[in-house]
Amino acid sequence: MYLIANIIVCVGALAGYIYGEIKLFRTGKNMLYAQMIALSLLCITYGRLYHIVRLVTDGSITESFQLGFLGVLGSLIFFFSSNFGAVDSLVDDGSKELKKYRLIALAAPAAAVVLYVSLFLWGEVAPLWRVQGAVLTLLVIPTSYFNLKHLIFPDVEGGFVKCLRPYNFLVLIYMASMMLECFAMSRNNGLLTLISCCIAGLSAAAMIPMVVRGSKIWKT
Amino acid sequence: MENMIYILYICIVVPLALSLPLIHKASRRIMVFIIIGISSALFISEVNGLLLRLMNFDAEYVTTIITPATEEVIKAIPILIYAFVVSDNIDKLIGSSFALGIGFALFENTYILINSMEVVSIQWAIVRGFSTALMHGICTAYVGYGMSFIRKRKKLLFCGTFALLTMSIIYHGVFNMLVQSESLKYLGFVLPLASYVLVAKEPIMRYKNRKKSEKNSISE
Repeated sequence: MYLIANIIVCVGALAGYIYGEIKLFRTGKNMLYAQMIALSLLCITYGRLYHIVRLVTDGSITESFQLGFLGVLGSLIFFFSSNFGAVDSLVDDGSKELKKYRLIALAAPAAAVVLYVSLFLWGEVAPLWRVQGAVLTLLVIPTSYFNLKHLIFPDVEGGFVKCLRPYNFLVLIYMASMMLECFAMSRNNGLLTLISCCIAGLSAAAMIPMVVRGSKIWKT
Repeated sequence: MENMIYILYICIVVPLALSLPLIHKASRRIMVFIIIGISSALFISEVNGLLLRLMNFDAEYVTTIITPATEEVIKAIPILIYAFVVSDNIDKLIGSSFALGIGFALFENTYILINSMEVVSIQWAIVRGFSTALMHGICTAYVGYGMSFIRKRKKLLFCGTFALLTMSIIYHGVFNMLVQSESLKYLGFVLPLASYVLVAKEPIMRYKNRKKSEKNSISE
């Protein structure tokens, strides 16, 4: 079950990366924001590849820490960097009128904390998964804040906030599925892992087409 | 023999270091990075030995989970310093980081060769030469390639660097796992070679285009 789940995410992310490589890296245009998202998919692919190889070579991915987990962390960091480093200053000018949107965006990190507390701190959970869940939550907090912020913020000149809304929504889904997968693996629940991986794989595959659609209007 | 690693280090590094003042500036940079790579390998051998003792000599766990992280972090440090202090030119960074990785692999291969004189063969040399050496070069080149983009935006600095490191660590981990497995070890030997083709294609194409444009400007 774990093998199939990881293959699904790996294939979804790889398909997204290949599409991104063709559309974003070979055009000669400087689209740093979109390129970072493509690289995040490559990070996901590598992480899943690690898990696949571990499972194929008769190893287990639930008993000890695995480097594949770094793939999830790397992808979240790329998502965060792309939003915080590349577009946030263009979306948010720091004006007081937009304060309510910034406050609403805090709902995403708050939800991540609530999920962590309810899924990993209550009940019998191995210390490994408590720590992994905590690290994942620590990265989900800033990343989800910017994704939700860019999802709800009013559009700016050029219309790119609106165009990138589907992408930001997909990243939020991806992060939720990652937390769910982490929880499922901590309980050794293969079916829930498969379901969360299906969601993660589909959202990873759909991210780049959404970004490409948006970057036709806006390029950075 | 005790201190063999230091004897080897002196035998390799001293002649290379002595050649530095006599060689051309561009070649000198590459040579310096090869020496840094060799020195990194010496340093990491001590660190890995310590980690192996801490992990009760569980070589499989250490080589697939811990050493990829320690080796990639140590190899990346000189590249990060070079990118921030000297130059963020993509060609220089890729060349230098690849040279560092190759220097690292060169020393590692030589040390393993001396320690396993009875079992080494031509096949062993081909495998080590093509797979391990290329893997080290590619992993470091990843960081170098990414740094050329990341330095352009200060906001991307820490996150981008970490994300790039995670990619190279996972790649290294996948490789180590593949070559240690019985059923998939040949895939492990091919993986760096396939990645090398993809990595080397871009600088070669860029070099060709530059030469072409230089030729055109001369003829005009």
